[in-house]
Amino acid sequence: MVDLPRRLFQSPWEFREAGLFTAVAVIAGFSVQYAGLGIGIPQAHLPYNALFLGLFALAVISAGLAFRNNAFVKWLGGIPLGLCLICAIALLSLIGGIIPQTAPAPGSRPALLGLNQIFSSWPFALTILLFLANLGLSLSWKLVPFKVQNLQFILFHAGFWIALSCAIFGAPDLQRLVVPVEEGKASNLGYTMDSETPQIIPFSVFLQDFSLEEYPPQLLLFDPNTGKIFEERSKANILVHKGLKASWKGLDIDVLDFIPYALPGKSGVPEPADRTAGIPFAKIRITSTNATVREEWITTGSPFVNTKDAQVGSLFLGIRPGTPKAFRSEVTVQDETGNPSKATLEVNHPINFMGWKLYQMGYDQKAGRWSKVSLIEVIRDPWLPAVYLGFFMIMAGNILFFWNGIKRTEGAS
Amino acid sequence: MIVNFTNAAIAAITCWTLGTLMSILSRRTPALKLPAFALSFGGSLVMAAFIAFYWVLLDRPPLRTLGETRLWYATLIPLVGFLVEYRWKIDWLKYYCMALAAFFLGINMLHPEVFDKTLMPALQSPWFIPHVIVYLVGYVLLAASSVTALHNVSLQVRKKENLTGESVSHYLALLGFVLLSFGLIFGALWAKEAWGHYWTWDPKETWAFLSWLAYLGYLHAWRYKIDRAKLQWYLALSFVVLLVCWFGVNYLPSAANSVHTYSQS
Repeated sequence: MVDLPRRLFQSPWEFREAGLFTAVAVIAGFSVQYAGLGIGIPQAHLPYNALFLGLFALAVISAGLAFRNNAFVKWLGGIPLGLCLICAIALLSLIGGIIPQTAPAPGSRPALLGLNQIFSSWPFALTILLFLANLGLSLSWKLVPFKVQNLQFILFHAGFWIALSCAIFGAPDLQRLVVPVEEGKASNLGYTMDSETPQIIPFSVFLQDFSLEEYPPQLLLFDPNTGKIFEERSKANILVHKGLKASWKGLDIDVLDFIPYALPGKSGVPEPADRTAGIPFAKIRITSTNATVREEWITTGSPFVNTKDAQVGSLFLGIRPGTPKAFRSEVTVQDETGNPSKATLEVNHPINFMGWKLYQMGYDQKAGRWSKVSLIEVIRDPWLPAVYLGFFMIMAGNILFFWNGIKRTEGAS
Repeated sequence: MIVNFTNAAIAAITCWTLGTLMSILSRRTPALKLPAFALSFGGSLVMAAFIAFYWVLLDRPPLRTLGETRLWYATLIPLVGFLVEYRWKIDWLKYYCMALAAFFLGINMLHPEVFDKTLMPALQSPWFIPHVIVYLVGYVLLAASSVTALHNVSLQVRKKENLTGESVSHYLALLGFVLLSFGLIFGALWAKEAWGHYWTWDPKETWAFLSWLAYLGYLHAWRYKIDRAKLQWYLALSFVVLLVCWFGVNYLPSAANSVHTYSQS
């Protein structure tokens, strides 16, 4: 008997059919995107998206269980199609990873094909939906009948299914608003990035105090005409402190004294001041190769005090405010019934309030340390627990994967 | 600086070079085996000591810039080579690993970074160290897997016998994938705390997802019993995606709006 090569669509279906199917799906997605002239995918909010997702999951699982011996369904939930869909998702992500995902020029070809918003485009949505179907089918076969040895498979695949589907179907319910608040004032108005019309949030934020802590100022040698900054000999970013020694070609600097918070005093010597008003002052000794030595006070300056640099020939030596080390807002949040609750907001330390998360986002960067405004981002994502459940299942599955991997190789060797 | 990077790097590379030479000689003179290992291992110890010193000097974990991640990489990758030798009795991987480590230190010597103690507020998080370290160890394992796969390909071409090579590259890829998954999820959990959302298709995130998909694809292809000899090519090339994710992203047009731009080279 001669073993003839399998023809396209001759059963059992494998990679060629899967590749073709995936390509057709992606092309169909781009066609819809193009025909829709850049119109996005319809967005369903709670409870409709949850309902749709539940029905979709139910349909996939029951199809898997009812037709588990059907050749077509087997192929639909098989690895060849799964791999082709992974490739398609990877290719679409590649577009998203290369082309900037910003608002495109309306009517341009990338805009019509959704290339600038690939992750909310029709081809991406369609591929993800097919991928969820493929993943769901394979999952249904491992779930029923349940076997302990399938636990790793179930945790990883179900975790991925849950995290991916909830992140995507739940996206329309994500609310992200920026609430700008001035010191001594309260606000319950939040802005989205793309609209100037504020939205009312169900609580108010009162800002007691905004404070910003900086790293020590930087010592710089620069040309005032060109703005060029000269690199110090050690090529380090020099943070000023008492006792610091720095050197450039033909120039040695010693920091004799450093006061992080001071104000100009009488007779030119700065006097220590409190944190709110004081600014950094440094007393430096400049030694040039031509053996001239002189000592001078320099300061970063502030909106209220002039900057003072030291002149060295045609160049200037100065200190500039350090980069922000930490910034925080002391706030009181209040719900509609007037229950107040005090909190400190800081980067990486959001707080929870009424199902919302409040983040220290920014401040008036021009005013820096003297900013009287704090930008607070408020975010509500009702789907977060489901996505996190998925994440933790993936991690649990991975631990088992790792463990089984070790056991298997030990068994083999 | 009194202990400087160049000196540490030269010392480490010298250790690795002498260790390699001695290790090759030890095939004839077994007595050289132990000193060869001590020297090679010493190279990584030098780098580990330098990282510890640098950490203290900077007052922050040296994990912020690309150059700093390369320090860790160069320290850890030879260790994978030694572990593979210990576990599978495969002695050639460590040479590639030490060469890679020297190569990464070389990049750092050619592109010295500005010594900078500052750490922006978003990076001051308990997630910082686990996220980056898990990723680095993952990258190290996947680099070793890729090198093993390349070696397997070259053995295939020369039609030489190779019994364990494919399972070594597979197991390293599997371990690497587990760590990539953890790195990705740790990153997502951290992003939720620092930037408000766990996933925003930031270019670095997109490329991390792509790298993860590449290895996800590999594991499924392996599972489906696709010709494993061909898969060695796939594994060898997957690492290119990782490299784009690690360095390349910064040079892509999409990088302009990335939150992952703390690097200087």
